[in-house]
Amino acid sequence: MTRSFVFTNHKGGVGKSTSATNIALGMVHLLRRANAANPRVLIIDTDSQGHASLVTTGRKDYGADDSLYTVLMADRTNAPQTLLNCVIQSQWDADLHVLPASPMLEGAERELMGVAGAPYRLADPLSKIVTQYTAVIIDTRPSFSLMTEMGLLAATDAIVPVEPRYLETVGLTSVIKKINDIREGWRHPALRVSGLLVTKMDSRIRGHNHLLAEVKAHPILGKLLVGVIPANEAVSYAHSNHQSLFTYNPAAPASKAYMQVVASLVRYLLTGGE
Amino acid sequence: MGRIHTDTRRMDDLLASVTSDLLGDVPQDFGDNTIRVERILLEMVRPDPVQPRRVLPESIHLRFHQNQITPTQALRELVQIVQIAARHRGRPFNNLLELLPNADNERDDEPTVTLTPEEQLLRDLVNLAITIRDDGQVNPLTVVDVSQGVTRLFRIETGERRYWATWLLRDFIPNYTGDGMIPCIIIPANRSSIFRQAKENTARSGLTAVALARQAALLLLTVHGYEIPAYAVGNDFFRQALDLDLRAKREYTDMILSAMGGIKRGQFSYIKGLLRLSDEAFELADRHAIEEARLRYVTGVASEYHAEIVRQIIDFNLSAKQVKELCEGDDMHDTKDESEVISPSALKLAKVTQAISSTTPKELARALMRQEGDADIARARLQAMRKLISETERYLTSD
Repeated sequence: MTRSFVFTNHKGGVGKSTSATNIALGMVHLLRRANAANPRVLIIDTDSQGHASLVTTGRKDYGADDSLYTVLMADRTNAPQTLLNCVIQSQWDADLHVLPASPMLEGAERELMGVAGAPYRLADPLSKIVTQYTAVIIDTRPSFSLMTEMGLLAATDAIVPVEPRYLETVGLTSVIKKINDIREGWRHPALRVSGLLVTKMDSRIRGHNHLLAEVKAHPILGKLLVGVIPANEAVSYAHSNHQSLFTYNPAAPASKAYMQVVASLVRYLLTGGE
Repeated sequence: MGRIHTDTRRMDDLLASVTSDLLGDVPQDFGDNTIRVERILLEMVRPDPVQPRRVLPESIHLRFHQNQITPTQALRELVQIVQIAARHRGRPFNNLLELLPNADNERDDEPTVTLTPEEQLLRDLVNLAITIRDDGQVNPLTVVDVSQGVTRLFRIETGERRYWATWLLRDFIPNYTGDGMIPCIIIPANRSSIFRQAKENTARSGLTAVALARQAALLLLTVHGYEIPAYAVGNDFFRQALDLDLRAKREYTDMILSAMGGIKRGQFSYIKGLLRLSDEAFELADRHAIEEARLRYVTGVASEYHAEIVRQIIDFNLSAKQVKELCEGDDMHDTKDESEVISPSALKLAKVTQAISSTTPKELARALMRQEGDADIARARLQAMRKLISETERYLTSD
């Protein structure tokens, strides 16, 4: 069964897009290395800023005819085909496909307000084509808006990237609570919080070490921890070159850490989400 | 800006480190090359353009596979063709469901209605669509994954009728409650086989002689290394097989004959010979499912007469014997110089002259008696023979 991972946190700058795009590419590489018959992974960028679209496809000027916006506005019957038409190949890898975001997504929420079934406008068409991919990675915007709800309703697993700072970790429980609300409120029992990803970890900062230790010791959060990504200059250099971290510098500490996360997620895929 | 690293070896090292560490106890090779069943979006499935068995009429088939019309438009055209044909025959309909036989309205004293091939096709499709609507699609299609890049596509190996019936159900028949998906058995592209497709075709009833001819051509072309295109092709593509035979590829002969339904070489040759039919005759014969035994004689006459003879076969329901007589009449033979034409009986008699040394008069007399059963008739035959021989001698002299 294909699993759809949504990377979400209402705090901005925690590395959602960086994690989503690099983990997606890592999965493609690892699946291919393991001779998977279908190593294709789809990234869905629901953030109108379009950072994930920009780094993976080299552009972010998608509009009314070739983006997630097109899918959300399509007639319900044609939405799956529209989705297929809007998916493009990334510049990173032939098996990494992207449904790009558009700045028009800002207005989409207003346009869809009051439209029956609006929160399912991504989940429904995606469910028709999801088996064509081994995994789907959904990048969300830094807020709990309708667009983020759509992402959560289309996903099976939520991964929460978080910086090891006091206020962020305090906000973690509210993020998890919100995900649980979506699961219960929208009757989406397949959705679960599957991972906590600590990003921008600087082991030279005592506070970071302290908070990481607290997360690890926490009875619930500790079990959810899937990886710790060190703060690394290579990340921003890779971004500015529109390259993946793995291509830019596979030896960078962040690359190695991301690859460990990828391995655990691929293992999770192989064992059927156990 | 930092230095760009593109060292693929180091990337491999990174991947190797995690595959051995974290995927250690998970099967490393999960290349799922097995056959699997999935529900696939109808739009992602396409019929095979070179499938020998045709569902839609040829003109619609070609335009559909040239992407000039969508599946819905293709069906709309079929419905229009059938509506016109039905109106001409005094049985107009507005709703597709009216095509289905209604047991309540049937009367025993009413004559049986003969449907046109298109009417029959549409009625069968509607019937199948209603079955799918009411009972679900029990039997999945067999499709081959031919996706390229972001274009996800599955080519139908078997089940094209179910595909069209599902489209018909979705767009033309009321009360469709499905989700636009169709259950399919997915075969990896590297396991797709023209031989399996042929076996599946011949195992089912209703494969026409023309479809068999196309199938024979595909098999021959494949084993002779011709590339089978992934787009619609005309009859000339299949006709290339007329220059090929089984002898040149003896190692495949058994496989081909088996895929054709276990037929004999002679029958294969007859079937392949149908490729000589003109385009119009080919299509007519396919639509009306005319058997090979009635078509084989048509290929012996000039191609401009093919369509007319096939039409006569259809209109008058001619038997194989009647078709033979019709085709072996003088009018439609190739316009060769009459002096060049030698009848089979003359050739047989000429051959007999070579056997004279091994035959005694007594033996010949006994053979004549056995053949005719009467001495007078046998004598008359000999006299006629003598006359023929003496006249033949005259021609030899003058020649």
